[in-house]
Amino acid sequence: MSNPENLSPLGQRLLDRRNFLSTAGLSASGLALTSLLDSDQLLADDPKTVGGKTPIRPVIDPHNPYQSRTPHFDVPAKQVLVIYLPGAISHVDTFDYKPALTKLHGQKPPSLPRVTFEGPSGNIAKPFWDFKPHGETGKMVSDLLPNLARQVDDFCFIHSMTTDTSAHPQGENFMNTGFTMEGFPSFGSWVTYALGTEAQDLPAFVAINDPRGLARSGKNNFGNGFLPAAFQGTDFNAKNPPNNLHRPMGLSPQADRGTLDILKRLNARHLKKYPGDANLAGRIASYELAGQMQMSVPEIMDLSGETQATLDSYGVEGGSELRGQYAQNCILARRLLEKGVRVVQLFNGSDPSGGNGVTNWDSHSNILNTHAMQAEIMDQPTAALLADLKQRGMMENTLIVWATEFGRMPFLQSNGTGRDHNPNAFTCFLTGAGVKRGFSYGESDEFGFKAAIDKTTAYDFNATLLHLMGLDHERLTFYHNGLERRLTNVHGHVIREVLA
Amino acid sequence: MTSLLKSKLVIFSVAGWVICGGIGESAHGQEIKFQRDIAPILENRCWDCHNQESHEGELRLDTRQGMLQGGGSGVAAVIPGKPDQSYLIEVISHLDPDLKMPPEQEQLPRQEIELLTQWIKQGAVWPGQTDVANTIESSHWAFQPLLRPDLPGRIRQGSNAIDVFLTESLKEQGLRFSPQADPISLLRRVSIVLTGLPPTPATTTNFLQAWERDSSQAYVKLVDGLMASPHFGERWAQHWLDVIRWAETNGSEANLYRKNAWVYRDYVVRAFNEDKPYDLFVREQLAGDSLGSGEATGFLVSGPHVPAATVGREPAAIRQARADRMDEIMQTVGPSILGITIGCARCHNHKFDPVSLKDYYALTAVFQDIEFGGRQPEYSAEHPLKQQGDKLLVDIETVREKLRTTGGWEENWAAYRELHFPAVTTKAVRVRFKTTYVGLDELEFFGPDDLSQNLALRDYGTELTGYPADGLENRNPIQRISDGEYGTMAWRARVEKDADQYPYVQFNFKNSELVDRLRISSNREYYYDTDYLERMPGLPRYEFDVDYLQEDGTWKPWVGTWFVNKKLNEEHPGRKTLLNEIQQLIQTHGEQGPQPSFVGRFVEPQVTHVLLRGSPESPRDEVNPAGLELFQGNLELTSQTPGADRRLAFANWITSQQNPLTARVMVNRIWHHVFGTGIVATTGDFGKAGAAPSHPKLLEWLAAEFIEPSANADAWSMQNMIRMMVMSKAFRQASLPNSKGIERDANARLLWRYPPKRVEAEVIRDAILLASGKLDQSIGGRSYRIHNEKKTYAQWEVVDNHGPHTWRRMLYQERMRRVDDQIFTAFDFPDCGQVRAKRPVSTTPLQALNLLNSPFVLEQTRLIAARALEETNGDQSDAIIRCFQLILGRPPDETELAVCVQLTREQDLAIVCRALINSNEFAFLP
Repeated sequence: MSNPENLSPLGQRLLDRRNFLSTAGLSASGLALTSLLDSDQLLADDPKTVGGKTPIRPVIDPHNPYQSRTPHFDVPAKQVLVIYLPGAISHVDTFDYKPALTKLHGQKPPSLPRVTFEGPSGNIAKPFWDFKPHGETGKMVSDLLPNLARQVDDFCFIHSMTTDTSAHPQGENFMNTGFTMEGFPSFGSWVTYALGTEAQDLPAFVAINDPRGLARSGKNNFGNGFLPAAFQGTDFNAKNPPNNLHRPMGLSPQADRGTLDILKRLNARHLKKYPGDANLAGRIASYELAGQMQMSVPEIMDLSGETQATLDSYGVEGGSELRGQYAQNCILARRLLEKGVRVVQLFNGSDPSGGNGVTNWDSHSNILNTHAMQAEIMDQPTAALLADLKQRGMMENTLIVWATEFGRMPFLQSNGTGRDHNPNAFTCFLTGAGVKRGFSYGESDEFGFKAAIDKTTAYDFNATLLHLMGLDHERLTFYHNGLERRLTNVHGHVIREVLA
Repeated sequence: MTSLLKSKLVIFSVAGWVICGGIGESAHGQEIKFQRDIAPILENRCWDCHNQESHEGELRLDTRQGMLQGGGSGVAAVIPGKPDQSYLIEVISHLDPDLKMPPEQEQLPRQEIELLTQWIKQGAVWPGQTDVANTIESSHWAFQPLLRPDLPGRIRQGSNAIDVFLTESLKEQGLRFSPQADPISLLRRVSIVLTGLPPTPATTTNFLQAWERDSSQAYVKLVDGLMASPHFGERWAQHWLDVIRWAETNGSEANLYRKNAWVYRDYVVRAFNEDKPYDLFVREQLAGDSLGSGEATGFLVSGPHVPAATVGREPAAIRQARADRMDEIMQTVGPSILGITIGCARCHNHKFDPVSLKDYYALTAVFQDIEFGGRQPEYSAEHPLKQQGDKLLVDIETVREKLRTTGGWEENWAAYRELHFPAVTTKAVRVRFKTTYVGLDELEFFGPDDLSQNLALRDYGTELTGYPADGLENRNPIQRISDGEYGTMAWRARVEKDADQYPYVQFNFKNSELVDRLRISSNREYYYDTDYLERMPGLPRYEFDVDYLQEDGTWKPWVGTWFVNKKLNEEHPGRKTLLNEIQQLIQTHGEQGPQPSFVGRFVEPQVTHVLLRGSPESPRDEVNPAGLELFQGNLELTSQTPGADRRLAFANWITSQQNPLTARVMVNRIWHHVFGTGIVATTGDFGKAGAAPSHPKLLEWLAAEFIEPSANADAWSMQNMIRMMVMSKAFRQASLPNSKGIERDANARLLWRYPPKRVEAEVIRDAILLASGKLDQSIGGRSYRIHNEKKTYAQWEVVDNHGPHTWRRMLYQERMRRVDDQIFTAFDFPDCGQVRAKRPVSTTPLQALNLLNSPFVLEQTRLIAARALEETNGDQSDAIIRCFQLILGRPPDETELAVCVQLTREQDLAIVCRALINSNEFAFLP
């Protein structure tokens, strides 16, 4: 080889890279080099250290981008379930108890804004449901959610959540992708990109959408943004399998096998021309994985093996049709987690295209009815899912997140029956692996209008979730258009207080 | 080295901004002495953190220059003479809730704040330092002037200048080019690179025969043919649309369809096919309204946006949304043309590149007249839509002439109703509605002579009265119908059924006017901006009568909806054909003529301010529209310059030789699309965080050649640049690996082989349709639809992604932001949210499932099999050979044929085609 001094810039960089690879203990064989260098990230300049933090880029094997990878540091959580409530559930009517609202019921709100998202504001309204203490912790919870209320001793509430927007799609984007704008990778895709998955015959990241359809930000909530498509959430639920999963009607199993036999031959012949080409080999592997998914996904969707007691506890029957369907989605979530799927995102609400008049938690008018209808769907199945996970010992290694995009106002809208969006205070809760139990973090002010103590941004929230998954939110980056992009942009602090 | 630029070239900007403020001028009270009064405060309070070594927040307060320049926030800490605008005073007075200085301490004593305030007021005199000016400069390679390097060797036969540079760097690694590729691979490669379509079997046969005779001659002819094909423009347009994340929906909540946005897509296709010089291509996209290519400004609104209707009613949220929309424009302009990420400077000075906060807002000032929406594009006379439209207008006028003899009539122009009546000269007109409710965004009157002048317009001096003037809930006033603004801001009024007075409108003209038609609409903006909604706002169907004011001051009933649509039609039964004819022509005009299109609409530019931390709630100094200071971007513009002039001046600057990036970025982009990886791998980032060029001299040479071709050729010709690359030896070599190459340069960045790669979604889909013979090869026009019509707030759903109406090139599939097409989105098709300089290539099992089981693929495999059987008269073995040729461009070898014959016997030929379509050979560029 020629003298490194005389090398072109690229030659020099290649040499450096090889040194890097060997010091990192990686194989410097041609194959490994091909696959590693094939990513834009490594062709870009070396990661810039920002604020003393050097990015950690997961090493992704193109043979199998889903191979399980180690986190940045050891944590109990191996997988994560995000239960997402589109539309914004009212914190002051569920978990954030504000007696001042009862006291000032019907009065003009003092020093509160005259115009909110939908227009002029009305009078203060007491919670639409009574609050009672629950569990050993005596946590005040409203009668709207009687089933979840029984488990408050396991939950870690964050009552001081805030967001940057009072519009739903931007709010969903912000909670689920870390940016209000379009096109950023979702939390689930970041985690999958970092950690791969344990279950090699199932998608690494499953988005279980509401039976009524996608939420308002649609695919953004589980999309890959600018990460490779391999890390997007696969969209299916208990009713609808992933697109094109099944061998089509009219195609016999023999014909299907016939295709695959010839395909194998063609690819083998082609690979002979390009020995050791990782991209070709990776594509061959993806067909094998697809074949496995054709077996494993129907199996996981088949709830017939569940006991009647399980079905009953989730509320598959005996409630509204939507509750039944959501309950089946909850069971599907548990089954996926049992198999080691890394990220499961479970939606309880859709876009207003839904059907039964109530499609999500948005309650600008007649909150008494609309929240009650949503709660009937959400409460029992969700509580049963959490209890089931606990009973099976899965809380030990599963992080569970219950989240929405903002809260609702302590006062009514001018129509007198609904509450408008409140980006200044809302409540989310965590439970499961690595999370403090029976704890409440942060407080909103006496009306639940504004975060007052330990204000928590969506950045902090996401930084904490990544931390609980063993990932440093400042070091989990992807080079995109000149920046080391992060889920938390350039913000966010891990909330140490909620860690067990 | 020869200097590319003949004029003298100054690259670094010096004296960025001039220090102003009366130095030494004494304000009221005592004169402040720096050493006595100020230095002790700074030393005690500031210098621990803001000094030469430790400049927290990138701010130095130990020099006057540091103060004037400010820190990373991008705003000046001190503006001499203006303490109220000096950020230093703001943070020490704790006026900014997010930044209080000194940190975690009590506020400074009032007296110290007062001293600093007075010092700044008196000019911030700092003895010995006052004359230091700020500079913006950079030693980064990409920001240096363009200099054409000499060729590092001789051009040998069968190669070109590109090869000379490449050979040099290959030699350094002890490598050399691979042998020439076999003709079948080369044909497939160059066809896909240039047109996005693989060769047909007939082309293959012809090419192989020509290759036998004279291989280099055959290749030259092939390239000529491919570049002359209209499919060339389609292929390269796809790349450009990717770069700017162009799509036909808004994104965000409602994700509404952008009506006729496709005229921009067709503009791009034409630009590549006509070999529009790249500098003109850029100028037109920035300022096409001034250059006779109005549709080209679709570029500016290619990104997603949040429409005003879904932002809510809070004023701060409305301001934030506008700032976000401006940022989308910045994100498009920066990476695509300049190859730098300007967006980083929205909240603070760019961390890596010399782009300041002030630069960012000066750039937004250039585009202050742009809003996301539709308008009637300014087409050149040669534009096909314009020509067809003009022709139809002549036909329409001919029919009108005939109708005029029968009296008035009504036309439906979809956006508005147009009522024609015998021309009359009058000082006032009155429209009396016969309904209890009206909802109108605009009501317009025109004369026969000038259809561009709405005589009812308030700005024209016309006075408006009517009833009920305040509208519903006193919130929907009548003034809205003559304000020239279309949209939801409408006059809405209701009266009781038994009311004495029904709604009416009266226009008093300033002078007598000749009027002969009126236009009436309820929400023309919606019609201009969007489409494919289940319930589009309809036309106002109200019945009304029109009177005019006679000389004697009395009103004369003149025309009305009942009169023209009922009475006259009964009196002239024969005119029914004419009415049908004219309505038919209008509808054809609506399809084939120029239409309102989502290519941006113009608004009155606002004065632009620097926004501290990017927040519209923290406006700072006013900034003038300008380009980057780094490249002498001062355009001599002000906040008073009309919007179109700002953009034109900017367009001229960005394509001028002051800016070396435009040419570098584009030749690199072309290289990326031809060779798979750019010379700068990060094609949208030439800044310090981007990749270093693999062949710096080659890049410089190409950029110079682009602007000033050495042969007598057109400057800025994208076709010439592409041709030079595909004619190189580097492009024509084999893609097969060899151990030495793999060992020394595994990724073939040095191009010891042509690097193979997976093709994009479009190539897969188009190639399948080409193989079945079903590909409709017509160019341009409305996109084919695979989705439903939806409610405003609902998600798009795929209805039919495989039927015959979809058998066009995928470039023409509706590009919907963040909507999964259920087949090809899985192949890294962009979601069009964030700018993605290039598509990642990832491999997922979902791709496999879609390509194995989707109705599209299954249907096409049957069609390919049927075609092959037909073309081979049903001979099974010949048909299999034919399928290989149609799909892979080669015949099967013996074993392949044998197993396929067996499978075809057991199953059918379509099953073989299904395997071929899923093969790596089909999906990879050889």
